[in-house]
Amino acid sequence: MTIFSITLVLFLIMDPIGNIASYLKLVDGINPKKQRLILLREMLIALLVMVIFNYIGEGIYDLLQISDPAVRLSSGVILFLISVQILFPNLTGLRENLPKEEPFIIPLAIPLIAGPSVLATIMLYAHMEQSQPVMLVSILCAWIAALLVMLASKPLYKAMGENGLMACEKLMGMVLVLIAIQRFLDGVEQYVATF
Amino acid sequence: MSIFNIALTLFLVANPIGNSPAIIALIKDFDFERQKKIMFRESGFALLIAIFFQYFGELFLGQLNIQQYTVSLCGGVLLLLVALNMIFSPHSGSTVQTKKKEPLIVPIATPLISGPALLTIIMLFTQKEDPFKISIAILIAWIAVGGLLMFAPYLQRILHRRGLGALEQLMGMILSMMAVEMVVQGLTLFIKSL
Repeated sequence: MTIFSITLVLFLIMDPIGNIASYLKLVDGINPKKQRLILLREMLIALLVMVIFNYIGEGIYDLLQISDPAVRLSSGVILFLISVQILFPNLTGLRENLPKEEPFIIPLAIPLIAGPSVLATIMLYAHMEQSQPVMLVSILCAWIAALLVMLASKPLYKAMGENGLMACEKLMGMVLVLIAIQRFLDGVEQYVATF
Repeated sequence: MSIFNIALTLFLVANPIGNSPAIIALIKDFDFERQKKIMFRESGFALLIAIFFQYFGELFLGQLNIQQYTVSLCGGVLLLLVALNMIFSPHSGSTVQTKKKEPLIVPIATPLISGPALLTIIMLFTQKEDPFKISIAILIAWIAVGGLLMFAPYLQRILHRRGLGALEQLMGMILSMMAVEMVVQGLTLFIKSL
């Protein structure tokens, strides 16, 4: 895998475009300077969590004796369910029941930015990709891209409107479904090969 | 192959005549003007997706390590979810009308109009023919498809409310069969690749 493809997958799963609307709702009424500070803090926490999970991913599968096909199958299923939620939003979703106070770690850093699907994917890739620098660089690249999108959230929201953003998110959701099903099939393929 | 040949193939694969009853069943809860707007927007998105796949499809799928059969499986699974929702719709039994969310991109633009079959065929044509020619063909086919789909809202006037309720269930059944067909085709390719 190249740095580019890991970065692309991570960026899509972080889903910054989809998070814009929830972010704006969360920081509504807080003054703009503080908003930026909050965003930066939350993003840094998310990055930290992602890097930690990157190192956990190295060893945890061996520790728990989870086989490669199982890792792929399970992360494929999780990713699939999450992308289905993006494509067919419902009222019980994460984004509909946001708490009212100022966000600290929950819900902006975790789970909106560094959610279970991102962490599962990072652990999976850390396990598959042998070289650590490649992983770290791709996490950083994806994070910077997500940060830029989130920093520009107000102009983006104004330019594209809620529907435009939703359309973008749905297109990204389609890509995520593709990635999820491909990963599931890779898992099946590996599993069949073990016979 | 001439431009006309390609355009005709694309038109047949997109199957606007077969799809319009299903699409009507999906958007039956909106008023006439709104339906027309939705149809126009969705056909626009379908065109965008088709053109995107023509130029970047292979590069894009290659970068993400996605095989051709996954596209077919993915379309099938998504369509199946929509179809099941149409058949076992939670509101169909009650008289309470809840405001439904407007369908955006999924499921009308893709996988109904620009479905996996269409995208795969476009990618195959692009390997063989001059890309500019294909783009023109896509555009011609799209004008025909879009034109037909814009007529879909008029169907509602003929069918009325009760007819549409029945249509939703029936179309759910047909859509689920189409969906399983896509899944089966994808699985066939997958098993062959093992």
